[in-house]
Order: sequence, then C-alpha cells, then structure tokens
Amino acid sequence: MARRRKRGRRKSRRQAPRYRIPWLRGLLAVAVLLAGYLVYLDFKVRHQFDGKRWSLPARVYARPLELYAGLPLTPEQLATELAALHYQPAISPRQAGEVSRNRNVFHLITRPFVHWDGREDSRNIRVTLANGVVSQLVDVGNGAAASLVRLDPVMVGSFYPTHSEDRVLVKLDEVPPLLTEALVAVEDHNFYSHHGIAPLSILRALWANIRAGGVVQGGSTLTQQLVKNFYLSSERTLRRKINEAIMALMLEWHYEKDEILEAYLNEVYLGQDGGRAVHGFGLASHFYFERPLAELSVEQIALLTGLVKGPSYYNPRQQPERALQRRNLVLDVMSAAGLITHEQAVRGKSRKLDVSHYRKKAINTFPAFLDMVRRQLQRDYREEDLTTEGLRIFTTLDPQLQWQLEQVLDRRLGGLESERGIPANTLEGAAVVTSIQGGEVLALAGGRHPGFAGFNRAMDAKRQVGSVIKPAVYLTALQRPEDYTLATLLDDGPLTWKAPNGNDWSPQNYDRQFHGMTPLYHALAHSYNVATARLGLELGLDSVISTLTSLGLRQDFRPYPSLLLGAVELSPLQVTQMYQTLASGGFRTPLRAIRAVLAVDEIPLQSYPLRVKAAVAPAPAYLITTALRFAARTGTGSALYRVLPAAMDIAGKTGTTDDLRDSWFAGYTGDRLAVVWVGRDDNQSTGLTGSTGALLIWRDLFAQVGDQGPLQSAVEGIEILRIDPLSGLRADNGCPDAVELPFIQGSGPVESAPCAVGGSPLQRPVDWFKELFE
Amino acid sequence: MKCSAGVPLWVGVSCIVLINGCTGMSGGQLPPVVDQGTQGAELSRYPQTGEPAQPVPRAPARVDPPAVVALLEHAEQQANAGELESAAVTLERAIRIDSRNPVLWHHLATVRLAEGDPLQAEQLAIKSNSLAAGNFALQARNWELIAEARRNRGDTSGALSADRQARALGKR
Repeated sequence: MARRRKRGRRKSRRQAPRYRIPWLRGLLAVAVLLAGYLVYLDFKVRHQFDGKRWSLPARVYARPLELYAGLPLTPEQLATELAALHYQPAISPRQAGEVSRNRNVFHLITRPFVHWDGREDSRNIRVTLANGVVSQLVDVGNGAAASLVRLDPVMVGSFYPTHSEDRVLVKLDEVPPLLTEALVAVEDHNFYSHHGIAPLSILRALWANIRAGGVVQGGSTLTQQLVKNFYLSSERTLRRKINEAIMALMLEWHYEKDEILEAYLNEVYLGQDGGRAVHGFGLASHFYFERPLAELSVEQIALLTGLVKGPSYYNPRQQPERALQRRNLVLDVMSAAGLITHEQAVRGKSRKLDVSHYRKKAINTFPAFLDMVRRQLQRDYREEDLTTEGLRIFTTLDPQLQWQLEQVLDRRLGGLESERGIPANTLEGAAVVTSIQGGEVLALAGGRHPGFAGFNRAMDAKRQVGSVIKPAVYLTALQRPEDYTLATLLDDGPLTWKAPNGNDWSPQNYDRQFHGMTPLYHALAHSYNVATARLGLELGLDSVISTLTSLGLRQDFRPYPSLLLGAVELSPLQVTQMYQTLASGGFRTPLRAIRAVLAVDEIPLQSYPLRVKAAVAPAPAYLITTALRFAARTGTGSALYRVLPAAMDIAGKTGTTDDLRDSWFAGYTGDRLAVVWVGRDDNQSTGLTGSTGALLIWRDLFAQVGDQGPLQSAVEGIEILRIDPLSGLRADNGCPDAVELPFIQGSGPVESAPCAVGGSPLQRPVDWFKELFE
Repeated sequence: MKCSAGVPLWVGVSCIVLINGCTGMSGGQLPPVVDQGTQGAELSRYPQTGEPAQPVPRAPARVDPPAVVALLEHAEQQANAGELESAAVTLERAIRIDSRNPVLWHHLATVRLAEGDPLQAEQLAIKSNSLAAGNFALQARNWELIAEARRNRGDTSGALSADRQARALGKR
C-alpha cells in the first residue's frame, strides 16, 4: 500500500497536481468502504449465527394423557388421542409413534418427550380397555404391569410473530444420519472438504448453463445455500452472488462444518402452508408426513432431500409425478453413494409417495382457549417473547373434552333453532369446563363456531346471570347455622320492598305464583324468587356481596336488592370461578389454563402451581351442594335425568334472565364443573330458559363425558336427620314425605313434626323416591 | 419416628411418604393412600329423597392406585434429594389422578412448608383435613403442620391453638 501510495505520488507529480489529492482520496475511500463492508458482512454473519438465529413461535401443548389402570377411558377416546398425535397404524409396532389395535387392546410404542417436569422415555406398552376404564397396562418388554405411562401431548397451537415463518428446531444428533448423508450426496458432495465455495462446481454449472442457454444448474455449496436462505433476499444479481460467496467463506472460517450443517437443516425452505413458510426438515417432516424426523422411512428421507432443489416445483401434493421422479433419482444417488443398498433403493422406489393428506388447518385449533392462555401469559411475558423465544407452554386443555364441547354446543344450538323456529345462526353460546379440585380449565368454548377466533364470549361476554347467583344467597344463610338450616321454612308469600327513593320492588316467581312456607333447600331447588329475595334482604345485601367476593368474584357489586335475583353481569368464566369454590368444598382455586412454561432449551421458566384458599367452611359448602343436588334431581334441573343415568350425581343450578335473554346452567359432578351460557349477541330474547337451553348442552356434554364419581366427600361436623318438609321438623316413619337432610351438628330441629307417630317402619314406610316419580 | 413439622425442613420432608410413621400405622410400608373415612361409606348412611340410596362406587382400583403410589414414591425421592419444587409438581400430578385423597394434599402442604411458604402450607393442610373426615391421625398431623406454619409466620398464639387441636385429635 505504502509503495503504491509512493508510486502514486511520483506519478501524480508528473500529472496535474490538482487531481492528485482527490484520486488518492477516492482510492482510500474505496478501500475503507470495502474494508468496512467486509467488517459489516463479517459482523452480520457472526451476529446472526451466534445470536438468536431464528425467532421461534411459542408452542402450546394440551395436557398429556396419562395412562394408568383404572383411568376412565374408552377405546374410541384412546384412538382419537393417538390419531391427534399422529401415531401411525402398524401391524406390529417397531418404532416410537406406531400403534396397533385389536378391538379393545392397543399396542403402542410411545414417543420420548421432554415434559415440564422431566423427560418421559419411550415405552413399549399394551393397553387393555374394558368397561370404560383402562383395565390393564402392561410393559411389553418385561410383561410386567406398568403403573403410569405419560404420552406426548397434542400440540394445539403456536403464537406467531407477524411474519409467518415456522420451524421445529432439530439438533444434529436428532437427525437421522441417512438424511444428512443424502443431503451431502445430492446437494454438495464436497461439503466436508471445501471452504464454503467450490469453484469447480461453479465452473461446471456455468458451462452447463451456457450450453443450455439458461440456468439449469446451481453449483452452490450447502454453505452458500444456507447464506442465501439465512441472510439474503432471493434476488438473482451478481452483487448478491458475490456477497453470498464472501459470506460463505466467512461462515466457514468461523464455524465448524457440523454447526453449518445443523443451521442448514433448520433453515432451508421446504414448502408453503398457506401463509406460513415451512422452514427446516423438522417442520417439513410434520408438514408432509405428520411424524417427527426420527420416524421417517428411507423413501421419505429421499423425498425431503429431493425437495431442497425446488419445494414448489417438486411439491408432492401438487406435482406428485415430478416429486416421485425426483425422489427416485435421490434414491439412486443414495444407492450409488453407498448410503443404502441397491435393494433398499428398489424397494423405496416401489413405494407410493405416502404424503399425508393436506389439511388447511387454522394454525390454532382452539382459538378461545389459546386466547385465555395468551392472556395469562401476558401477565408474565412480553408479546415479543411469546412469538420469538420458542417457549413451550404446557396447558391444562383436555383436547377430547374440547372437541366434545364444541360438537355438542354447535349441534344443540342448531337443533334448538330448528325445533323452535328460531332464525338460524342467531343463538350463540359459551362454555367452560374445569377440574374441580385442581381448578384447571379443561375446555373452553368462546362461541359456537370453534375455529373462528372472534369474540371470546366465555371470557368477555358479560351477561346477566339470573338465578345462577342464588346459591350465594343461600350459602350466606347456611353459614349462620343458628338461624338457618336446609329445613328452615322460608316465606314465599308476596313481598314489596320499599327502596330509599320511594320506589317499590315486588319480585315475582317465574310461574307467577306464591308458594307459601317452603323449606330452604326446596326454595333453592325450585328457584323461588320471592323466598330468595326475602331471605337475602333478611341477611343483608352486604353479607351476600361478601359471600360473592369470597367465592372468587372480584367485582364491585352495587347493593341493589335485584342483585339477589341475579341482576348482575358476569362472564361465563366468572360464573365458573364462583361455582368452582362451591364444588371444591369451599376452597377457592384461581382457575388455571397453564401448568408450566419451558424455555426453548427445555429449562423450566415458570410453573403455575396449584394454590388453594379456604374461602367457605366445609360444612356450609357441603349443605349448599346438597341443596343443588336437589335442584338437579327434583328441581329446576330435573330435565337432566331424562337422559343422564340416575347414578350420575349432579349438583346444578339453572339461570334465566328477563325476557329470556340469557339461558344459564352451572353444574358439577364428582370431578368436573361446567358452566354453559346461551344467548344472542344482540341481547334479544332467545325464548329459552336455563333448563330449555343451556342445561341441554350441559346434559349433552356429560352424557358423553360420563362422570359418575361421588359428588360429596364426608365432612366433619355434619349429621343427618329425617325431616318433614311441610313443617321443617323432625320426621319419623310416620311421615310419608320425609327427606333426609344434612345439618351442621346441633343445628337441626329438635321438635317432632305433627306427622311423626313413632310407629314401626313396617306401618308407614318412607317413600324415598316419591318426589322423583312425581 | 416423630415427624414434627417443627424439625428442620429436611426431616420434615423426609416424612413425606412415611406418614405411617407419623400416624401410628404399621411401619415400613407405604400408607394407604386412600383414607377410609372419605370414601362414600359416610354418604351411604343418608340417602336423600329422590336419590339413589347407595352411593355410586368410584371407578375400580380406587384403593392404593399403583399410579398414585408410584408418584408418591417419586415425590419422596425428589424431596429427599432437595428437589422440592419437583416434588410439588409430582404431587400435583398425583392429585390430578386422585384428587380427593387427603394424604396427597398433606404431602403437598409439607413440601410447601419446607419451601418456605407457610401461608400456602396451612391452606393445603386445611384442604387435606376437609377431605379426611374420620382419619384423626392425619388430621392431627395436619394441625401439627399448621402449628409449625403459624410459628414460621410469627403467629405464636395461632400456633398454640393449632397444637391444642393436634393434641386433642391425637387422643381420639
């Protein structure tokens, strides 16, 4: 440089002096610019390669299915789960992800999977189902009983950034060696010896292109292809070619061959799924074959390898002939390179393409549930982290229950419309299903069109709740055992309440009749408005509001007496939270949609643990559940048992609002709670009560779910007494309509009813089922 | 073996599965993870009008489900290895399978106490008690744990009253 400058100076002395300086400056400037540009390229290459190479969407998983002897599960449910996980049917399973079924016996090899709490190894198991449960779970390897096997979870969605690229990241050691060998053999057989570019290949390609009069051959190394995919646009200019070559050399200078290969495997463009670009072999394997890379056959590997040359030109779904030829060519190359035997190539070539049927699926299958997940995550993560950091989110979703819920909701609403002459598609609905003790949201429907990511009614539709609120009034009473029991007679006679502003409030019953003195449990079971209003006014609105708050409703309730009859707007999710506390015996558990979040490298980031708070004493909670069992069995919910088996123990409450605008049903069994709302988006009348609308959806769902566990656990300090419902006093066998009711110890009536004769049971047997058959 | 919740965290946690040592049941074996007091037998005494006179039994394999026993053992190993959060996660997994089993809730309370979360430990112990009708030994253990949780929070009088509850139950 110095010499050149010297020479330049001498030269310039001979030339016109006024040009000397600009010439030198120009040269310097070019050199500096060039150097700067190289530094910039080098920085770009290293920065992007070292740092975050890909923005990875967060992946959202359903709950994994845990198999154990005694688990309630039908063969159809297991088959559905395995289909959702893309287990491949096989005559005799040999590798992970394969299953064979012989009626009620499934033989499967589970996939290894890293859950939030650790890795679950692959297991070779036989599952026998009988009478609606897993009757046997056997480890095929040693023939011994397996106590617990956890499947991989169904992926139910991803959170994408605005530009829709997607990947399933793979590590080099997870990739079948045959794939990398085939790739090298087909695309760049000097990969392990060149320094990023292969001049001979370029010349060869150039010659071929000249002879053909156009671009027929690439000549790019894998490294160049990576650079092109990784850093550059797809423009075809000389400048880009030069940049590509320089950056390829830099990449090779800085990184090992294996690192480059791994990046290539994850970066290369292999197809298009609607608006979503399919990058990398990990995702391509799922996209074309619905199985992980590790489970691919020889010819499937050959097909993917062949796709690199032109994913749309050789698109196996649209151009099966071309794709087949390309695949067979790759099989020949693999055989010639000694990667597979000649026989393997012949066998592979004889097979069909075997590409899975393309499903134009919404990226997120359950938008309403994912909406809830996203909102819970947004408390802890920035939006950017959700779409770029590759978080793995483990949720509480039970996909089987979700499908069932979506199905029954749409079917029943459609049925109601056609039966009742309601204009089609005017009824809307929303529902939430939870596990009672854990407070996990198992399914959530935000509307009747499940795939549509619109208004999430389960979370955002605040509607009047009507009688669904009444258990809070009765619970307030039952928390004062000295004053109220299930047998206390309430007055359901005419009531007029004078508001401070002078207005009168005269609540009416739904049947426009008054029912006189009626035992407390019966007033709730039959949802008498007047008795409830009078009771609530006796207790005080503030006490009722305080009960609502302790049940988990965080909201400013205005102390109007109409609150007692449900003139308050809540979302289905809020109603679920309220009933959750009742159903779990008085313990409040914040509803959870997420169990844990893992970082992309499988390090646990956050768990959302089970937390409980004793909100209502167990004894009053027990009493209210008893009253709600009466409501389901013989009260406003009795339509349940026209379909559901008598053995199913249910506690539930209907809700109907003025002019039949809203139809609610909230009910629970031993293990699950579900709240259903039906109404119209324009808040017009639906013509449906709680029991002719929402209850039917609830019933449809539980007819499928079939939860028959016991509803109530025994509670300390509860005694059972036989009561004459007419007088609310102690009954004996002389009283034909006697009921047995639980009481908080010592709170029950002492006096005997007029009907009590103290006679022998043989004289006047109690008719347990009288009310049932009335 | 006395498993006072007042001992340093570790020992408390090591009681996890060995609750039989604490409740006076035969030693050396796992406790029955299903507590007799809570399983429907109580309900059968008072069928109600219009309801089936007999409660519906739960699904088969209700007593000592091997899955729950396996998870309890795993949780114990984790707790003894100092992996408290992992133990809690394993216990939650067991609760998902057998959610009304008071022994599981008690263990979760023990782990939360060892983790330094006395508030949640107390709530979980109360939850365990709400499911443990008739099992006075377990109730006494829960009250001991509540007493310890309250002491940890500086609530001495609350702790004393919990201790009294534990002693009263211990005599039953």
